[in-house]
Amino acid sequence: MSKKINLTLKVWRQKNCKSPGAFEVYEAKGIDTDMSFLEMLDVVNERLTKENIDPISFDHDCREGICGTCGSVVNGQAHGPVKGTTLCQLHMRNFTDGQLIVIEPFRAKAFPVINDLAVDRSSFDRIIQSGGFISIKTGQAPDAHSLPVLKGRSDSAMDAAQCIGCGACVAACPNAAAMLFVSAKVYHLNILPQGEPELKTRTINMVKQMDKEGFGNCSNEYECEAACPKEISVSHIARLNQQHRKSNFT
Amino acid sequence: MSFQIFDLSRSITKKQTVAITGLMLISFVLVHLAGNLFIFDGPKPFNEYAEHLERFGIFKKIAEWALFLVFLIHIERVTSLVVQNIRAAGGLKRYAVDNSRGPRSLATRLMPFTGTFLFLYLICHLYDFAWANDQGIRSMINGKSLGLYGLVVNSFKNPIHCWLYVVAMYCLCLHLTHGVESFFQTFGIQDSRFTLLVRKLSRVFALMIMIAYSSIPLYVLYILKI
Ligand code: HEM
Ligand code: FES
Repeated sequence: MSKKINLTLKVWRQKNCKSPGAFEVYEAKGIDTDMSFLEMLDVVNERLTKENIDPISFDHDCREGICGTCGSVVNGQAHGPVKGTTLCQLHMRNFTDGQLIVIEPFRAKAFPVINDLAVDRSSFDRIIQSGGFISIKTGQAPDAHSLPVLKGRSDSAMDAAQCIGCGACVAACPNAAAMLFVSAKVYHLNILPQGEPELKTRTINMVKQMDKEGFGNCSNEYECEAACPKEISVSHIARLNQQHRKSNFT
Repeated sequence: MSFQIFDLSRSITKKQTVAITGLMLISFVLVHLAGNLFIFDGPKPFNEYAEHLERFGIFKKIAEWALFLVFLIHIERVTSLVVQNIRAAGGLKRYAVDNSRGPRSLATRLMPFTGTFLFLYLICHLYDFAWANDQGIRSMINGKSLGLYGLVVNSFKNPIHCWLYVVAMYCLCLHLTHGVESFFQTFGIQDSRFTLLVRKLSRVFALMIMIAYSSIPLYVLYILKI
């Protein structure tokens, strides 16, 4: 059964990456518990617009947990308190009437704030670009089974490919490291025959770009795995560590 | 395909340098422990063991300097990692609400602090026993010098001295609790099936190191009669 709750929001407001930014407090009254977190923000924004206050900026696109565009830190947790959920799939029934909700952007040097809760995650795009191409035959669709892939390998690749690149791992990591993201992106190609020929260059170049973007270093605290909406395992990081070690000797 | 040059400054390589030097320090910790346990056999075996080490002469010196170098590399690389991490996170004060969901433990959070404490402890420890005169006044028991054995026993008969060592060993335990587990992950000799097992084993290992080392000062203070 849906019901209505009243909430107090403490929201980070910041004009751009150059200005300092500060918290503002807003009331969110009569929020339907069946709403998603983003719908709740929509309701607040409609009121703010009417009152001639700048609406709160936040990123979103699919609103069904598959695109990786949304994401903020809610009460100290990336994507909020529910495990394995993006912010757009977080529902207001997970909050109680009268609760104070603190909403902050994903904070990292490599994710400069664009406006309020929206951050620039193009550093992730540049890491992906640095990975380069994979070797496949273009032209006609290949025959089925022309390139056999072991079941275990295809499963592992699919697990890694679940990553939607939202950046929650960076936001949750005490060092703002991007190792979970990079390891997933490296691994889902490295383990397949299509991606194997470029394994070494891909591994080295993506790690190099990750360092260049100013992400931190993993200290094996595993906060990333706990925050990941797709629950990507930190064993990918171990595999990246291993493949990077081997790729050093070429 | 381009040729890759071994780059020591890359984040993962840096972490693996910390891990390798950490492993070397652990091996030292184990060897050192084996020697120290001779104290339970009394003054003669203990002092003989120490003299035996001295007989290695130049090789002992080389081993000591190598260990010192390993220590320096560990500290230098770790400092560089920690500084980068703080910068990457945008300073020490990050989120208004500190509410981590993951398995981040006290041992994990305290790594740089337990490490620094161990470093300070090490200097005191060397000053205590390695650089001290083992025939001097501090080595006298009942009017007779008992060499290094006397030095150690006299030191630990002081409760403050004894308990400072136990606290230092607790720090070592915390450092190794995360350190040993971390080593496997950082080196990529890890598999999700073994994560929990590795975590448990590294806790047990760290605890055993602490108990074994602490047994020496506690034995001297509370059990040994002179
Ligand atoms: C003397 C000062 C020391 C300092 C300042 C220090 C500091 C640190 C720090 C901050 C880390 C975490 C690095 C990271 O995960 O990013 C670390 C890791 C480690 N330390 Fe130390 N440490 C010291 C001494 C020692 C000693 C005496 C030992 C062994 C007996 C040791 C063994 C290790 C191990 C095994 C790791 C794990 C490496 C990894 O992350 O894979 N350290 N140290
Ligand atoms: S908006 Fe697409 S995952 Fe949330």
